[in-house]
Amino acid sequence: MQSKQNAAPWLELDGAQGEGGGQVLRSALTLSMITGTPFRIEHIRAKRSKPGLLRQHLTAVQAAAAICGAQVSGAEAGSQRLSFAPGPIRGGNYRFAIGTAGSCTLVLQTVLPALWFADVPSTLSVSGGTHNRAAPPADFLIRAWQPLLARMGVEQTLQLQRHGFYPAGGGEVSASVAPCASLQPIELLSRGALGGIRAEALVAGVPGSVARRELERVRAQIAEVDGQIRELPSREGPGNAVLIEVAHAGVTEVFTAFGERGLPAERVADQVATEARQYLQSDAAVGEHLADQLLLPLALAGGGAFTCTTASSHLHTNTAVIEKFLPVEIEVAQQGAVVRVSLTRA
Amino acid sequence: MRRTVAIGFVGTVLDYVGKGSQRWEKWRPTVSLCQQDDLIVHRVELLHDPRSRGLFERLKLDIAAISPETEVRGVEINLRDPWDFEEVYAALHDFAHGYRFDTEAEDYLIHITTGTHVAQICWFLLAEARYLPAKLVQTSPPRKKEAGEVVGSYAVIDLDLSRYDHIATRFARERDATVSFLKSGIATRNASFNRMIEQIERVAVRSKAPMLLCGPTGAGKSLLARRVYEMKKTRHQLAGRFVEVNCATLRGDSAMSALFGHVKGAFTGAQSERAGLLRSADGGLLFLDEIGELGLDEQAMLLKAIEEKRFFPFGGDREVESDFQLIAGTVRDLRQWVAEGRFREDLYARINLWTYTLPGLAERAEDIEPNLDFELDRYAREHGEQVRFNAEAKRAYLKFATGPDARWSGNFRELSASVTRMATLSDTGRITEAVVVEELARLRGAWGGPSANPLADLLGERLATLDLFDRLQLESVAEVCRRSASLSDAGRRLFGASRLQKAKINDADRLRKYLARFDLEWQQLSAK
Repeated sequence: MQSKQNAAPWLELDGAQGEGGGQVLRSALTLSMITGTPFRIEHIRAKRSKPGLLRQHLTAVQAAAAICGAQVSGAEAGSQRLSFAPGPIRGGNYRFAIGTAGSCTLVLQTVLPALWFADVPSTLSVSGGTHNRAAPPADFLIRAWQPLLARMGVEQTLQLQRHGFYPAGGGEVSASVAPCASLQPIELLSRGALGGIRAEALVAGVPGSVARRELERVRAQIAEVDGQIRELPSREGPGNAVLIEVAHAGVTEVFTAFGERGLPAERVADQVATEARQYLQSDAAVGEHLADQLLLPLALAGGGAFTCTTASSHLHTNTAVIEKFLPVEIEVAQQGAVVRVSLTRA
Repeated sequence: MRRTVAIGFVGTVLDYVGKGSQRWEKWRPTVSLCQQDDLIVHRVELLHDPRSRGLFERLKLDIAAISPETEVRGVEINLRDPWDFEEVYAALHDFAHGYRFDTEAEDYLIHITTGTHVAQICWFLLAEARYLPAKLVQTSPPRKKEAGEVVGSYAVIDLDLSRYDHIATRFARERDATVSFLKSGIATRNASFNRMIEQIERVAVRSKAPMLLCGPTGAGKSLLARRVYEMKKTRHQLAGRFVEVNCATLRGDSAMSALFGHVKGAFTGAQSERAGLLRSADGGLLFLDEIGELGLDEQAMLLKAIEEKRFFPFGGDREVESDFQLIAGTVRDLRQWVAEGRFREDLYARINLWTYTLPGLAERAEDIEPNLDFELDRYAREHGEQVRFNAEAKRAYLKFATGPDARWSGNFRELSASVTRMATLSDTGRITEAVVVEELARLRGAWGGPSANPLADLLGERLATLDLFDRLQLESVAEVCRRSASLSDAGRRLFGASRLQKAKINDADRLRKYLARFDLEWQQLSAK
């Protein structure tokens, strides 16, 4: 198998194209591990003020390399080119400590799909930041992403062991995965009947009054919301986040905003409430971020469709990368007020 | 893969922001350094005194949380007063000396944001002197009060200035200007001369060591020495005066006195104290031209003065001090003079560190034209009258001046005199062909015409039949003979190396046989 993989032609990617940056790299790592296709990426983040790989990208590369015994070159901070030649995916027990350079969830997202197709069951623990800006929080993966995967046949359990907020980190997410032969396509064109809306204000080492103000503000904008304060041990802090979980019969969405020093609690609440309201007012099955996370599993299943509120630039970038690795065609079309994404075997 | 190691102080002020979880909302330089998204610090060496052990342990835990890749090591040092320069420098010097740098595998960064300003200065000095094979790194707090941002930024400062394009260009420009200054603004074309001046510039800027300028009279030794002085003065490397003396003019007691000064009553006529040239040059530059003409006693005194920066004035029993830069000039082959015992070997060794031979004008034919323009400008400055060549006149002059018949035995001084003559004789500011023809005749006359070759008198017609190879050799041999007391003396010098291999000394015989090949005898060649 090894020799066959080595014979596979290299895929060349341009890191300066589209959204570029980390998303192209992470999708490419996942797909490379699963398909056994080696790839080279150049001009990584070429036009940014800090060009090349950042530490958060390296953590994903190192985790991916560990799981499939890949041969990697160029995996250094600031490097603008990387080559990744995967070996066979090896199930087993893994622990990655990534600090706060990046997010546990981004690492999980990169390597979990590979473990779905491993030879044996796996456990995985990633420690560091679990609730960072610019990354989906662990709650989102657990409550929104995972149930949809389960419907596609993925046997995976995610658990948030400890919260880790930026910048202190110190959180941990664990996962256990049983391998599956293949994924079932799903169609998510409508969300079904509304089940309930829950808001949760997390505080760690931050006064409870902040959480109360946030929930009040959310309630003022979304009438039917059910609010709850979660006070975490202060050693997990300092940190504050507001999550709104919107459950429908067909899909659960989770929206998040992070509290930050200098940012009034009301503004944090407004951010997340606005995002949730926009979703509620739309007819789309999933929101922008869940759409991004859904694309790759569907592509691995070889088909499916969903509707989403908007097509982000991440989605377009991901589409281009996926079509290079997998024999699928992805169609992204505006349908009235929603965007319909359909995947078919090429 | 290379590893990055950061070395710095535990910041007892900046790194200390309390123990509660709120510490994460404050900027801490040492933590921030390990938290940069494009820099992985594989190891941190944190210097601290025993009182800061608690703070060190907390930093260690916090760095482990945010950057698992980083190993944190503590280095305990005792500083009674971290603001005392001497103490801090000594402590850091010891640290640098004792640290096992593995520059093959690791890159080092000195974190200068923590620690006192005195520590910062010491880090800088140690890195600059390469005691620490490291670059400096500075961390800065987040610029704007962007919500939630605590990491801030970092900047690496490499003290190798040549790595910075803008600075390097600036240096290059400055060096070009200085080199041009040393050449008196003359755009010389002789490549080896230009290379030599560039090196003199580098040496003069970096070193206070003596310099030795060799070359024929009029080659520009004195002018160059003065230019070096002026350059160093502009750069504040010298504060004192430029003192120039031709040693050939110093004789006997007055030589000692002129150079080293004398005390009152040191000799008849010494009615008052005299400082002497060496003391006048204190803090400045002393140019000793024709240093070979200095007597052996003076040479000994001079050596002591150069080495110890102190000497006894003539007749005095108390030493005086003078710290000057020395440039020596000579037309002699000092190595030869040392061999002959006419120049002290130890003094020669002391001044023969940066030795440059200034070629004569005839060896720099391509530089005659720019020098010609320079001399015309100089004439204009001095006389308030711009004089120019007619095109034909200039061509004629240059043709001769750069040709094989031009000996330029007086070198640049002679060229200068020649231009002055032509300029003075020119009417209405034009040097015509007639003026040039007249001047060329004058120069030919001064150089003894076409038969200026010393061999011509000896060989007559036969000279034309000799190969250039033989002629050049014979010329030099004839010159040595002229300066030697006897045939044996000349032979000893000419076969100085090979005679040592011979079982039986026979250099007089060898020389006699060599001369016989040209039908020459010793009597024809000797000075008498």
